[in-house]
Amino acid sequence: MKKRSAKTIRNLTGYAFIAPWLIGFLVFTAGPFIASIFLSFTRYDIISTPVWVGAANYKELLTGDPIFWKSLLVTFKYAAVAIPSGIIAGVALALLLNMELKGISVYRTIFFIPSIVPVVATSVVFVWILNPNSGLVNSILLRFGIMGPNWLQDKNWALWSLIFMSLWGVGGSMIIYLAGLKDIPIQLYEAAMIDGANAWQRARHITIPMLTPIIFFNLVMGTIGAFGTFTQAFVMTQGGPEDSTMFYSLYLFNRAWRYLDMGYASAMAWILFVIIMIFTGIIMKSHRKWVHYGN
Amino acid sequence: METKSSPWKKIAAIIAAILLITGIALIFMLPAPQTRHYPKRIEVRFWHMWTGEWASVVDNIAQEYNRNQTKYEVVPLSVPSSAADTKFLLAVSGGNPPDLMAQWNPVIPSWADKKLLTPLDEMMTPAEWKEFQNTAYPVAKKIGIYKGKLYGVTTGTNVWALYYNPKHLREAGLDPNKFPKTLEELMKWGDKLNRYDKRGNLVRMGFLPGWLAEYAPIFDGGFYDFKSNKLTLNSPQNLRALTFLVDARKKIGYNNVVRFESGLLSSSNGSGDWPFIKDFYSIALDGQWRVEEIRKLAEDTKKNGGPWDFEYGTAPVPPPTGGKSAAGFADGNFLVIPRGAKQARGAWEFIKFWSGIEKPERAAKFYTWGGWMPINAKVANAPAYQKYVRENPQFKTFLDLMPSENLEPSPPVSYQIFLVDRIGRTDDFATRGSLTPEQALKTLEHDIAAEQARRKEYRYDVN
Repeated sequence: MKKRSAKTIRNLTGYAFIAPWLIGFLVFTAGPFIASIFLSFTRYDIISTPVWVGAANYKELLTGDPIFWKSLLVTFKYAAVAIPSGIIAGVALALLLNMELKGISVYRTIFFIPSIVPVVATSVVFVWILNPNSGLVNSILLRFGIMGPNWLQDKNWALWSLIFMSLWGVGGSMIIYLAGLKDIPIQLYEAAMIDGANAWQRARHITIPMLTPIIFFNLVMGTIGAFGTFTQAFVMTQGGPEDSTMFYSLYLFNRAWRYLDMGYASAMAWILFVIIMIFTGIIMKSHRKWVHYGN
Repeated sequence: METKSSPWKKIAAIIAAILLITGIALIFMLPAPQTRHYPKRIEVRFWHMWTGEWASVVDNIAQEYNRNQTKYEVVPLSVPSSAADTKFLLAVSGGNPPDLMAQWNPVIPSWADKKLLTPLDEMMTPAEWKEFQNTAYPVAKKIGIYKGKLYGVTTGTNVWALYYNPKHLREAGLDPNKFPKTLEELMKWGDKLNRYDKRGNLVRMGFLPGWLAEYAPIFDGGFYDFKSNKLTLNSPQNLRALTFLVDARKKIGYNNVVRFESGLLSSSNGSGDWPFIKDFYSIALDGQWRVEEIRKLAEDTKKNGGPWDFEYGTAPVPPPTGGKSAAGFADGNFLVIPRGAKQARGAWEFIKFWSGIEKPERAAKFYTWGGWMPINAKVANAPAYQKYVRENPQFKTFLDLMPSENLEPSPPVSYQIFLVDRIGRTDDFATRGSLTPEQALKTLEHDIAAEQARRKEYRYDVN
């Protein structure tokens, strides 16, 4: 009896300590998350009571809203290019920064710093960098006699500009890859070298396979992140030109806060949730085939 | 299992705890950011979105009001414009709205429709309401009235007209005193004023006609018939206007235009960076606030000992053949009282004070502080306002537009922001050449019809 009460007290103390987070989570995350299931079947403008409309929001989204499909396509395109290129750039950088050079930690810091700059600040800077007339990118191109495009104002280039910009923040994943590289047992390389493996073979058969758990982690996080891309487009292009950067989350935001169409936006959020779950599920399912845990 | 902790850890923990406690204590000890000057009076909480110099102007008006009576204290609070609407909505739905809010976003129809705003005509006496209807400029009524009820009182309408650089005109052999009387003639002037560099890049734009919402009324079109209360989206007049805008861009080359425009500094940086003042445009369409900005810039430059020889003139946009004069887009700053405001009466008294519904002669002064367009002719004719116009003769062009019936704000429908966004897209797709003007307007009509159908299905208001 005494033992149990002591245990209860200990448990309660534990809960009391995590209560600030727990309450915050329940009130600000779990609550709205669950409420949005109901709201997605209603018309709701924040102010008045939600009115049940059945599956009308979903029907309209799937059959009558071209911008919904366009925003989905934009987001898919972005994810399809930005995620793999982020992984390639991240791994490549980590490999480079894994070399034992004098002052390597300085280089590591330099490459990591951009990832801790808030996206809003980066976006504002990139608006300048990508300015077609006076921007850094086009000024450099001009030195080589190339007339750079109207990056953010050209519908064929705007999305690519944002993908290009996404590589700027690759330092965050790079640092995780770097930690992964440091974790690869040295004896594997030694054994390979004794067997006469060259640098490429070592990279191909040891480094990359041993990094796959990290790549897997970054792939999952990157997928979730890419489908939620919002800030860059909100700050830099507002979805334009001609909806070429109308990301799903941006359109969702517009529906929710510009048009006060919370029911519709909730339905959008749930469709996005299902899409992300499907993709994450596929990645999870496939991981047995390509992720090596070294044992 | 006890582990022996090092004394340093203990010391660090104690220091951290002391710092934390001091920090929390300091938060409570710091004075509240807004100090009341008249704590015994009834507080009227006033939210607005101005910042910097503009916020000071608003503060001064509030102070003037506070000095002028003894019952209320208007306490202004500058709310970041990007979050202001959200903050307002959450405050109203949370039951704690401000007493008064200054807005410039197209929100009256949708907020009024959602019963978020107090009908101001109900705050007026029948005589006041009648007086308002008889004296307020047509555009002030178009902005403020939704379905026959007044929800917003304009304290500064924005109207657009042409700014021209006489020096450029003279260089090109054009006489500033014989400014074009037709849009066609103005376009010819624009061609003569364009300047290119050796590579063929545009370095100075003569004149580039702007956006559809401005030009549709000039072409006798527009998106709403304020008499029959019906949308007029895909009209032959709007098509003419859009075709005109598309052709103007095509002539210079769309990429050239974009490259030129994006090379300019953001005009929202302030008057000093305005491309017209920087000589990038010879003739530019812009709002009346530039007059006041240029005046301040000149004053500051002279004060700092710099030279000031910038010369400019203003003129209304001349109509095309078959178009309308004194026409164009208009929007403005207006004051609204949320429903559930605790001090609606105090807020209303302040609205009357600022707008000039009460004592227009006194209010005229406030309008000149911001270079704002008056709500009615009484304010416009008040000595203080007339003095301002005499000192800033370029302002008269804008003032002369005010009595016009041809100024058109965004259509007062309950899904106004959606509609404004879609009109913007129409403009975007057509002027970039992705859709023909016919296709763009048809798409607009189709999208709005679809939205109306959806709203009908949801039993929302569709007007």
